[in-house]
Amino acid sequence: MAWEDIVTSTALPAPPTFLARVRTFVATPRFARILSLVLFFAAWQFVVPLLPTRLIPLPAKVLGFMWDEVLGNTLGRTTVWEAFGISLARLGIGFGLAFVIGVPIGLLMGVSRAVENFFHDFVVVGLAMPSLVWALLTGVWFGLGTGLIAGAPIITVVLAALPFVIINTFEGVRDVPRELSDMATAYNVARTKVMRHVTIPSLMPFFFASLRYGLANGWKGLVLAEVFAATSGAGWNIKYWYDAHRAQGVIGYALFFILFALFVERIVFQRFSKRVFKWRPEIETVAEPGAGLAQLEAEQLVTIGADGGIAI
Amino acid sequence: MSTTEAAPERLQESHLRRELRTRWIPRIAGYVGFLAVWTWASGRLVEAFLLPSPLAILKEMWEIIESGLFSVHFFATLQKIAIGYSIAFVLGTAVGIIMARRWWDGFFREWVVSILTTPGLIFALLAALIFGFSPVGPIVAIVVTSFPFVTVNVAEGVKALPKDLFDMARAFRIGEVRRLRHVVIPFLAPYLFTALRYGFSVAWKIATLTELFGSSTGIGFMMRREFQLFNITAMLAWIFFFFAFALLLEKVLLQRGIKRFFRWRQESVVT
Repeated sequence: MAWEDIVTSTALPAPPTFLARVRTFVATPRFARILSLVLFFAAWQFVVPLLPTRLIPLPAKVLGFMWDEVLGNTLGRTTVWEAFGISLARLGIGFGLAFVIGVPIGLLMGVSRAVENFFHDFVVVGLAMPSLVWALLTGVWFGLGTGLIAGAPIITVVLAALPFVIINTFEGVRDVPRELSDMATAYNVARTKVMRHVTIPSLMPFFFASLRYGLANGWKGLVLAEVFAATSGAGWNIKYWYDAHRAQGVIGYALFFILFALFVERIVFQRFSKRVFKWRPEIETVAEPGAGLAQLEAEQLVTIGADGGIAI
Repeated sequence: MSTTEAAPERLQESHLRRELRTRWIPRIAGYVGFLAVWTWASGRLVEAFLLPSPLAILKEMWEIIESGLFSVHFFATLQKIAIGYSIAFVLGTAVGIIMARRWWDGFFREWVVSILTTPGLIFALLAALIFGFSPVGPIVAIVVTSFPFVTVNVAEGVKALPKDLFDMARAFRIGEVRRLRHVVIPFLAPYLFTALRYGFSVAWKIATLTELFGSSTGIGFMMRREFQLFNITAMLAWIFFFFAFALLLEKVLLQRGIKRFFRWRQESVVT
């Protein structure tokens, strides 16, 4: 139990009630979370100088770099705000296209067995395809894109997100509760009403899954495509600092990426899914134990899909 | 008389025909259509050097195999994956076991989530920057990126361990070792195998990615080289190798191993 020595060292002079309070706080996961951050920075600050390499900058240097970037005073071509803005715009365009192409295909696959078999294997291969492949291929095909609407990054997003959109729509169509639609037919409910109250609500979790995994995969592909075939964007910026041999730039951008991912994961998606699934008694998509588990759970869904027998 | 006898036969035949119509014909049509469009487009719709025909790529792949380049780079990548992923699996399992406790979950969770959601490119670049062209870089990148996948699955499994079986084992005074052998390990095995598969699918991707930036051997390095030489035929050939390699390891070796391991079960949990 590693935390017990910390307790004794910090809380010795205090009265017992305080000590007890500290002890209970130390036992909480929140303390563990803070402790892990502190230990990480301490290790970075004090252990890294002992290593035989001088290529790893100390935290102060990296944080200084990040602070300058945030303030908009950078040596690069674009600040971090502009770079992420450009990348997000590309992600949005690409994902929009993937959605427009993928949803009809997924719907058709859900309705017809023949269409399902026609596309099935390609979708499976697409799910397993590393986005690196798309980034390189679109790079040679469409060349260096200048400006915001660069061909290679956007098409990479489309290709990387498309299989996720298709497979989730397909699964969603299959999951529409048959009893409910049968009942609706029996009671002569209008088609639009069935659409509104049966089909769309039951497709919702699947659209949400496709949004989440399509965006995640698209984002990873986008960053790579920007490295190989763009002249702006977040991926290009990190490559810029890499080429300039500024480790603080690369690490600083890595931290920006992590912060961005945490922000999207914790704030945007959790809130969004809560709103989308308000009608449900329990929220399945956001598993209690942690966002990471929820992600992996759904990734399991996807990887299992990629293994041939599509069974959630 | 004859009609009643022929009926099941006809039924079976129509079933076969339907199977053919809904499954095999569309599937084959998909492949044939894809290859036909590809072959047709190469040289007509797009310049042949931009989109080489499937045959040209196959020829190139054969030449790469014959020249011996393939085995050199294939084994270079495989070696990095083997070392890196073994470390990641052991580390990930250990962290996963302690992460089943809430305190340790708090300790590690933030890092696990961060790594899961960060593009692999970042770790590849960092590894290349810090370790240069040594093989240590890719290995470190593989360990860092694939261990959270193992961890999360193992933690899930440990959390779900059947308490009642433990209680029963205690009631019947069953020793620690036997409990481990007959309760813990059989229960955790499917989780461990799921962890193995996910972690692996990440590991091979990150391995090639790090080779793009900080390596002078491996499939990823060759892809990068052909990309820079603008030799699309060879690039595609290496991409296909990369894919074949992953399919071979993931589908054939891992899946078969898992099936064999779970032979004693009625139904496989993992797949």
